[in-house]
Amino acid sequence: MSIGYRDEAIGGESSYTVGILKRIYVHNRNLKSLYIELNHWLDIKPGQFLMVWIPGYEEIPISPSYSDGELIRLTVKGVGDTSKKLINMNMGDRVYVRGPYGTYFKIDDRDKYLLVGGGYGAAPLIFLAHKLVEMGLRPKYVEGVKSISEQLFIKEAESLGLEATLVTEDGSSGIRGLVTDYIVSILDNFDSVLACGPTPMLDKVLDLCRSRGINCQLSYESIVKCGIGVCGSCTLGNTGLLICFDGPVLDINTLNKWRYRGSD
Amino acid sequence: MTVDLGVYLSGLRLRNPTILASGILGDKAQLLRRASESGFGAVTTKSFTYNPREGYKTPIVAEVKAGLLNAVGLANPGYKMMRKIISEARINGVPIIVSLAGSNIDEFHRMAIYADESGADAVELNLSCPHVEKMGMEIGQDPNYVARLVGDIKGSITIPLFIKIGLTDNYMEVVGRALDKGADGVTAINTIRAMAIDIYAKKPILSNIYGGLSGPAIHPIAIRITYDLYSEYRATIIGTGGVEDCKDALEFILAGATAIGIGTSISKKGLNIAKDIVRGIRKYMENEGVKKLEDLIGYVHKN
Ligand SMILES: Cc1cc2nc3c(=O)[nH]c(=O)nc-3n(C[C@H](O)[C@H](O)[C@H](O)COP(=O)(O)OP(=O)(O)OC[C@H]3O[C@@H](n4cnc5c(N)ncnc54)[C@H](O)[C@@H]3O)c2cc1C
Ligand SMILES: Cc1cc2nc3c(=O)[nH]c(=O)nc-3n(C[C@H](O)[C@H](O)[C@H](O)COP(=O)(O)O)c2cc1C
Ligand code: FES
Repeated sequence: MSIGYRDEAIGGESSYTVGILKRIYVHNRNLKSLYIELNHWLDIKPGQFLMVWIPGYEEIPISPSYSDGELIRLTVKGVGDTSKKLINMNMGDRVYVRGPYGTYFKIDDRDKYLLVGGGYGAAPLIFLAHKLVEMGLRPKYVEGVKSISEQLFIKEAESLGLEATLVTEDGSSGIRGLVTDYIVSILDNFDSVLACGPTPMLDKVLDLCRSRGINCQLSYESIVKCGIGVCGSCTLGNTGLLICFDGPVLDINTLNKWRYRGSD
Repeated sequence: MTVDLGVYLSGLRLRNPTILASGILGDKAQLLRRASESGFGAVTTKSFTYNPREGYKTPIVAEVKAGLLNAVGLANPGYKMMRKIISEARINGVPIIVSLAGSNIDEFHRMAIYADESGADAVELNLSCPHVEKMGMEIGQDPNYVARLVGDIKGSITIPLFIKIGLTDNYMEVVGRALDKGADGVTAINTIRAMAIDIYAKKPILSNIYGGLSGPAIHPIAIRITYDLYSEYRATIIGTGGVEDCKDALEFILAGATAIGIGTSISKKGLNIAKDIVRGIRKYMENEGVKKLEDLIGYVHKN
């Protein structure tokens, strides 16, 4: 039986892959993108997550905002002890990751996709945007944030040649309002919505897609502790769906089958 | 040939011998329900404690070569929540076994009565949690304590009573005393106290340092214990430890188990593992010309 990866440097197997912090991009004081070089190649698909451990702190789930297998980018908001420690690490510091775990965005190359990211939920979507462009697809990219200081990947999406729209709640840049209100007017131009963000936002996207009969795949969050489907902590709302195992990316059919009505 | 996979577990009728082991996805009604709907013959709740417990900080699991280490820390909403959980988790024909972890006889006693009143089909006393102090190994290793505990509870409840043991030197004596006092069966085994260190972090992986080892590594140990208990006492046993496929399950049954607990392998194979195992057992019975699964229980002890 094998665990994690084979450590070619010294021989033997290890469950954590070691990552070294190589570069930091500061979106704002509390929101940063960390470029981390791994000592072992990991096959990560957009939407999947890693369990990221800093010894002495906790281990938390993060969906990379980019990965070429050896260099990964984590876009992290400081909300508690571990995420704050993560964004305040120094160059050369180590983190330990296991995974990838969970489901990913499934792509059909005939579909017209709308990508919708809310806050740091934009992370897996910009990663996905890179993959879609490699496949020759041209999705539309929409990012919803509170204020311009939280803007993440609009420029990156544009540099991929995509049409990108920023929606800010306070109107400090781009379109003013909620991203879910904005997409109402454009939804009918797409076959499928791929979204990640806070639960209320995703619940709203789900409602919109249900009422219009549009497909969607949504990456939900919950409290992930084990990451491997044994502890039971990560259920989505009242359903029996496990975010770490059945998710984090759930399609509309699965959500309908479980009669998911939103979490409050 | 039609084969019968149903078993009687101390009076409980199970449609097949697979049981969701305690602590795996078991503290939420919707997950117990899902396990029942996925084909398990019975489900066990996560161990309830008297007061709610948060559980330990992450990392709470460490994947190791031949299994899994966990130190969840008995996270659960407290025993008062069991009534709601049992009623919401209930699926016709799938018994619910309530696991209890008390820190003294009085707590165990109250919780067992409450489980009975709340509609549990059986209770399982967790006497073997390897990573929570005062709620585990210490009590499970003390034959006098276990005898008193079982005697005390047995007189107050109407449903079957199981004790769950771990790997100890004196498990034969402990189980013998418990059976004398009227315990209806034994769940064997719990995880084994263990530890893992990351060589680059140069630190223990689990926040709790120690955890319980489960999975393939403990399977042959659990088979040995099942074999011993059946051989000595003809005990009713829920064989648990490292079951990943129907072969592992059949090994338990031949050693003397009436039913099989499944935990860790759900992490890789999901809850559908119960169906896969049942399908495999059915095929085996057809191929081997066995009509009733019950005829295979303890078969290796026949000569
Ligand atoms: C699949 C998935 C992907 C994620 N991707 C990202 C990402 O790309 N970038 C990012 O910044 N964050 C991401 N998160 C959220 C991130 O995991 C939490 O912010 C982090 O766990 C908080 O830990 P903490 O110790 O810093 O804060 P804590 O003090 O533990 O908690 C602060 C807040 O975070 C929530 N939280 C706590 N623990 C968890 C947990 N284990 N899982 C989820 N939420 C938790 C709490 O409800 C609380 O609101 C993701 C979560 C999931 C489930
Ligand atoms: C994550 C996890 C949590 C567990 N929690 C409990 C528990 O609360 N009570 C208990 O009696 N056993 C608990 N166990 C032990 C299992 O019920 C089982 O006895 C053990 O894991 C061996 O079976 P397995 O190899 O199939 O996992 C837990 C095991 C795991 C992996
Ligand atoms: S985090 Fe443990 S089951 Fe999902």
